[in-house]
Amino acid sequence: MYATYVIWTRHMRKFVQQTEELVGLALQSVLWVVLFGVGMRGMISDVGGSDYMSFILPGIIALSALGGAVGGGMVLLDERLRGIVKEYLAAPIPRLSILLGSAASTATKALFQATLMLIIGLLMGARLAINPVGWLGALVLLAIFAIGFSGLALGVAAISRSIAGYHGMIFLFNLPLLFASNALYPLSVLPGWMQVIVLINPATYLIDAVRALAFGVEATLPLWASGLVLAVFAAASMAFALSLFQRSLRA
Amino acid sequence: MTVLTDGLDITAQARYALKELEPDDQGTVMNEHAVETQTLVKRYGTVTALDRVNLQAPAGRIYALLGPNGAGKTTLLSVLTTLLPPTSGSARILGYDVVRDAAEVRCRIGVTFQEMVLDPLLTGRETLDFHGRLYRLPAAVRRQRIAELVELVQLTDAIDRPVKSYSGGMKRRLELARGLMTDPQVLVLDEPTQGLDPQNRVNIWSYVRDLNRRRGMSILLTTHAMDEAEALADLVGIIDHGRLIVEGKPGDLIASLGSDVIRVRGNGDFQHLATVATAIDGVNRVETDPADGLALIYTDNGSRRLPAVLNAISNNGFAIEDVTLARPSLGDVFLHYTGTALRD
Ligand SMILES: Nc1ncnc2c1ncn2[C@@H]1O[C@H](COP(=O)(O)OP(=O)(O)OP(=O)(O)O)[C@@H](O)[C@H]1O
Ligand SMILES: [Mg+2]
Repeated sequence: MYATYVIWTRHMRKFVQQTEELVGLALQSVLWVVLFGVGMRGMISDVGGSDYMSFILPGIIALSALGGAVGGGMVLLDERLRGIVKEYLAAPIPRLSILLGSAASTATKALFQATLMLIIGLLMGARLAINPVGWLGALVLLAIFAIGFSGLALGVAAISRSIAGYHGMIFLFNLPLLFASNALYPLSVLPGWMQVIVLINPATYLIDAVRALAFGVEATLPLWASGLVLAVFAAASMAFALSLFQRSLRA
Repeated sequence: MTVLTDGLDITAQARYALKELEPDDQGTVMNEHAVETQTLVKRYGTVTALDRVNLQAPAGRIYALLGPNGAGKTTLLSVLTTLLPPTSGSARILGYDVVRDAAEVRCRIGVTFQEMVLDPLLTGRETLDFHGRLYRLPAAVRRQRIAELVELVQLTDAIDRPVKSYSGGMKRRLELARGLMTDPQVLVLDEPTQGLDPQNRVNIWSYVRDLNRRRGMSILLTTHAMDEAEALADLVGIIDHGRLIVEGKPGDLIASLGSDVIRVRGNGDFQHLATVATAIDGVNRVETDPADGLALIYTDNGSRRLPAVLNAISNNGFAIEDVTLARPSLGDVFLHYTGTALRD
């Protein structure tokens, strides 16, 4: 959709111009990797045959994409509360393109951050598999994942009445996503009941696939299944966002 | 001039009054309505914001919707600009239904909203360019329109600065330019001069008049300022508590009140004042708004009746603070139809 592209360029132009956001995001990436990497490496030297930096990097990347999605929802909420969204609503464009434009810019920022994190991770000793197609695949899955979480965040942003309300709601699903996943520990060390919860979390599929594609670790879950789960998740969450957004417009 | 007594249908008189308007100054006949609503209702939960509104704004005219805070002006414009679906009834812009043919409507209208809706981080030029791209205008057209509009709204020096550095008046002018980027057939302006200084107000008025005269653009605007409606409108609709109470040419509305009005401000028993004044020879009608300390005494000849009126009032214990004698204004029309004065 052309309007999605137009809205994406608008967000990108602001992103590039606003040096604080750009620099902030870059510094955040560095901090995540350095703090996590250095801190945890002291305790754990290797996990399941790969060094800890290689193990933890996909998880950090996934979680920072979550943060990006929360930020993307914030932008929509801000535009809604300030009335800026009315400019889109009065224009001859589909409602969905407004949400997709937001999700696309969130995904772009996530890719930017992921690339930075990978570079820093490599400098800190992570070992990337020599597999450019795998890297590309990992980035595509990351983008789909970012769109999926943007959908959830945009849905919440569409119905929140205030910034505080939005953050309260977001917190509810952000925290479990971090801990109930394979980001910090391998799936195999978790007790059975916990594995069930972790397998509901889309982040688990992304992280497993990225480990396999970019770091050459043997996949715990079939790659095609991870891809499918992420695609379905992205589609479902955008549908969720659209239905809440349309409901909010009918007020 | 017409009174929409129950809001259910526009009276025969109204149709007549609108017909009269149709051959416009240039002698062409407009037979299409820019905006038309039929028993339009909008409820927010239990609040009825629009109550069976029947509005007809002929194409090529400036129509001002006049009403106090909370009257339902913004709600009406939101329905007309496809932002809100009506609860019942229907609305059409240039014959296109705002629900069924929303896309057609959106392509043909330009809008400015009541609150400033500008992205502070973008420059003026980016704001206009982005808007044009949203409507798929080719780059060359966008460039040309921006050049023209920037000149029209006098933002040449500031156009490449971020919007956050603009004053309120500059922002409004930029919003007007944005609404015009797509060369709309119908321009919808929600309180276009709210919060602006007198100079900016007059500037906006002159752009609006120009767009109407030179390009024949149909314009629907809302205001709660009488002078704005008087300065701009070919047609005025008075809206209060969600109901369109009366619509017509300002001159006709005013003339219907009588020739002269004596406005008396003061304290005392307004009911008694009304009784006393009505009995005086040459007084047609008395309207009072005790909450505002205001009485309007309509007469056949103000200067001739003034002494008798003042005499009668003050002899009956009413403390007069201020008296003015004038031709009735739109403000008096408002008081006449709504029973309260319109305050800003
Ligand atoms: N989103 C909403 N939810 C509930 N009630 C609303 C909503 N928007 C407006 N209202 C109510 O509907 C009525 C009409 O409001 P509206 O904003 O259309 O008035 P207005 O004429 O534009 O007023 P103003 O001059 O203050 O802008 C008011 O009683 C208002 O409180
Ligand atoms: Mg309003």
